[in-house]
Amino acid sequence: MELLSQVVTGLAVGAAYSLIAVAVVLIYAGTKTLSIAMGEIGAFGLFAGLHWREEGVPGTDYHPSALVAGVIAVVLGALLGLVVERLVMRPLVRRPPLDGLIATLGVALLLALLELKIYGSDPVSAPSPVGNRVFTVLDAPLPATRVAAFVLAVVVAVGLFVFLTRTKFGLATRAAVSDPTVARLLGVRVNSVYMFAWGVGGALSGLAAAVLAPAFGNLTPFAQTQFSLRALAGAVIGGLDSIWGAIVGSLLVGVVETVVQSNVSSSQNGYASMAVLVLVLGTLLVRPRGILGTTGVA
Amino acid sequence: MSRELFAPRARPPLVPTVFGILVAAVVLLGPLLLKPGKVSTLVTAIAIAITALGLDLLVGTTGQLSLAHAALLGVGTFSAIGLGGRGIPWPAAFLGAIAITAAVSALIGLPSLRIRGLQVAITALAFQIFADSYLFQQSAVKDNTLTFAAPSFFDPAQHGFRRLYYFGLVLLVLTVLLLRRIGATRAGRSFVAVRDVEQRAVAFGVRPGPTKLLAYALSGAIAGLGGALIAFKEGTVNDAGTFNLQASLLLVAIVVIGGARSAVGICSAAFFVRALPNLIPAGYSLPVLGDVATTIPIVFAALLIVSIVGNPEGTGGLLRRARTGIEGLFSPPAKRPSPRPRPTDAVAAAAQAADLRRVSRPLTERLPVPALLVARNATVQYGGVRALSEVSLEVRRGEIVGLIGANGAGKSTFFNAVSGLAPVTGSIRYRDRELVGADPARRTRAGIARTFQDMGLIRADTVRQNLLLAQGWITRYPASAGILGLGSTIADERELRRRADLALELFGLDHLAGETLGDLPYGTMRICEIEAAVSTGPDLLLLDEASAGLTPDEAHALGDRFLALRDELGLTLVVIEHHVPLIARVCDYAYCLESGELIAEGAPEQVTAQPRVVESFLGKGSLRETASAR
Repeated sequence: MELLSQVVTGLAVGAAYSLIAVAVVLIYAGTKTLSIAMGEIGAFGLFAGLHWREEGVPGTDYHPSALVAGVIAVVLGALLGLVVERLVMRPLVRRPPLDGLIATLGVALLLALLELKIYGSDPVSAPSPVGNRVFTVLDAPLPATRVAAFVLAVVVAVGLFVFLTRTKFGLATRAAVSDPTVARLLGVRVNSVYMFAWGVGGALSGLAAAVLAPAFGNLTPFAQTQFSLRALAGAVIGGLDSIWGAIVGSLLVGVVETVVQSNVSSSQNGYASMAVLVLVLGTLLVRPRGILGTTGVA
Repeated sequence: MSRELFAPRARPPLVPTVFGILVAAVVLLGPLLLKPGKVSTLVTAIAIAITALGLDLLVGTTGQLSLAHAALLGVGTFSAIGLGGRGIPWPAAFLGAIAITAAVSALIGLPSLRIRGLQVAITALAFQIFADSYLFQQSAVKDNTLTFAAPSFFDPAQHGFRRLYYFGLVLLVLTVLLLRRIGATRAGRSFVAVRDVEQRAVAFGVRPGPTKLLAYALSGAIAGLGGALIAFKEGTVNDAGTFNLQASLLLVAIVVIGGARSAVGICSAAFFVRALPNLIPAGYSLPVLGDVATTIPIVFAALLIVSIVGNPEGTGGLLRRARTGIEGLFSPPAKRPSPRPRPTDAVAAAAQAADLRRVSRPLTERLPVPALLVARNATVQYGGVRALSEVSLEVRRGEIVGLIGANGAGKSTFFNAVSGLAPVTGSIRYRDRELVGADPARRTRAGIARTFQDMGLIRADTVRQNLLLAQGWITRYPASAGILGLGSTIADERELRRRADLALELFGLDHLAGETLGDLPYGTMRICEIEAAVSTGPDLLLLDEASAGLTPDEAHALGDRFLALRDELGLTLVVIEHHVPLIARVCDYAYCLESGELIAEGAPEQVTAQPRVVESFLGKGSLRETASAR
């Protein structure tokens, strides 16, 4: 495969990561919590959707299609995000940021172990929600899920950008981030900002799971947490408080990963994870705040 | 010191002692009753507990999160097999595994040299996944042809796992003792300082980056020991499942549920999640929850969330509270010392404490210069805000200088400029040497000590620990020597303790040395911070709002101490103070700032009488009214 088509494939791969990365940045910017639970929050909803696709929704004969399973993942992801915010994260608002990070770790662990208990360790088959057509872009064969991921990433990024810069609520979000106490005194509903961040973040995670899992054909517990590392790496590389940074960082991770993987023998696919490690380590040493992050992050 | 030695020893409380003996009996005798396969599980659980204790050094003590400790455990295991399997004697293989794992762990922590944020955790996560998907798949790492054969004394095939179990127990106890030892050295105190007061700790001579790196390395070394134990027991490892991401997350859960810095809590949590599922007979199931072995980890994950939200001190905290509760049932509650300063003769105490000034400094910095501190056009600019604007002032040796002004006038900014925590232009000379550009630790060594408006000490530590931390720059023994107790370490530590006790007596707080700082009233905490500053043997003491939170009587007593510090110890003081009577009583000279600019200077009575000062600082009411309102 030529370098150019590798890059195109990499961009499509990175676009899927960027959905989780944007969720991570949204939550970091909104609540100062670095969440590593987004992979599993998305996976939990998709597990339910895919399981129902095979077994039928409990109590009915309805077998949702793969597309509907994806929608279920988005809806459950959003709900789960809200539940986590209300029950786990809100009591931690005034605690050190490390506590928040550990709490999200607990959420990821709990969800993955529950998946293991409910659905077993056998992979659940995850067909593409948008059909199996393969598009060819600049000689790169792109399955429909990759194209969908790319389109979704662009829509989400532009939508959030407009929302956060052009609306009153977006302004409130930014006020709440810079100083929750003052924002509260000025009449900003800080709690609804937190709920927005976790709700939208959860929905994006569900979306990411729906387009990421089909690339591997199936879904297993902890797998999405592994993928979400690529997104976390993207967010850290791009700058934890910048939505555009999250996207640029994720695309970079996707491209580097794909190019490295295509150019070493296929049996050694662990090289991609080494490339990600080197990329994160290098970025944090050379430019700790990330490509587009502000100094407040480091 | 001496008073503590001769105090009548309290009878050890009965119930906790009995409880402790029971636990020890179960730990020591339990394996004799179990089948070899079950004892094998316990050995693994011990290795996990050791690794968790290492992780706690990072998470609980230093405030850094590692999501790669299972991978580090794997690095230790495979290193030990790689070395021991090639015929290297087992003790050397253990040490090799420890060294290699420490190096890898330090590598993961490398970004902590540059950043304070939590992103370092992502590096560790990236390493964990790299180890899962690549490192532990390599035949060079996971070499199935190599076997780390334990010497025949430990050989499980001949003796079962009991001897290995007791060997593991010894390693576990050694790890706990090592961690205790680290906690009593300069390095251990620096770890806590990095966790709680990272930016300010530089003034105590703590360098945050290298300190964090050292914590990563030590934590990795302990994980390496755990790994070597697993290698010793297994001989060869085919399944890397103990070292995967899930195992890493469980390790963090063990530390949090067990409770930071609680060995008992962490060991219990490790036993609960790693040994219990295998000790319960297979197929044993509960109503609703189903199979017990798969339910325990879920309960554990839920407990992690509950712990972090509702019980941040973990099991260790619960045990401590239970212990105090039980002790209370059997004996009348011990009389808690009054949390306030004891009234002592300030002059006599100061005479005793004259020793504190005996710290070694470069000769050039001991030259007598009449003006100890001279600022010329000192300016501090944050973006568009000028927090300090062309301030020129002078502090003479042996004076108490008051710095007054309304909130936001730039008083604390001036202190930051002098102590090296604010970007300053212009000139600030101390003993005729330029401070601008010098790093904060050097300023401390030169004899400048300060307190902070909002406390720069560690609330979770005891008063004495904080005083030892503050004196960090006085002894500079290397961390390794400190941990092993080599060289001058023990004598140095004893000297620091003596100095801390002198400083405590000086302010009448010697009866509170063992109390947790955060449990004391605000005013007492502030005095502790002054003591911490005085214990470093400074020439120039910068005190930010020293009398805040004190009763009028205590503020008056504090004034006596200031005078004693000046007259008996020969210190020079700059005090930011709102309490006008105190300024009037103790200050030799006063400066008034407004919006970053100097607006008045002179004798305290003159300055506080100037109309502009009255308007800016005291408000439009009369001096007396304002003073009594405070």
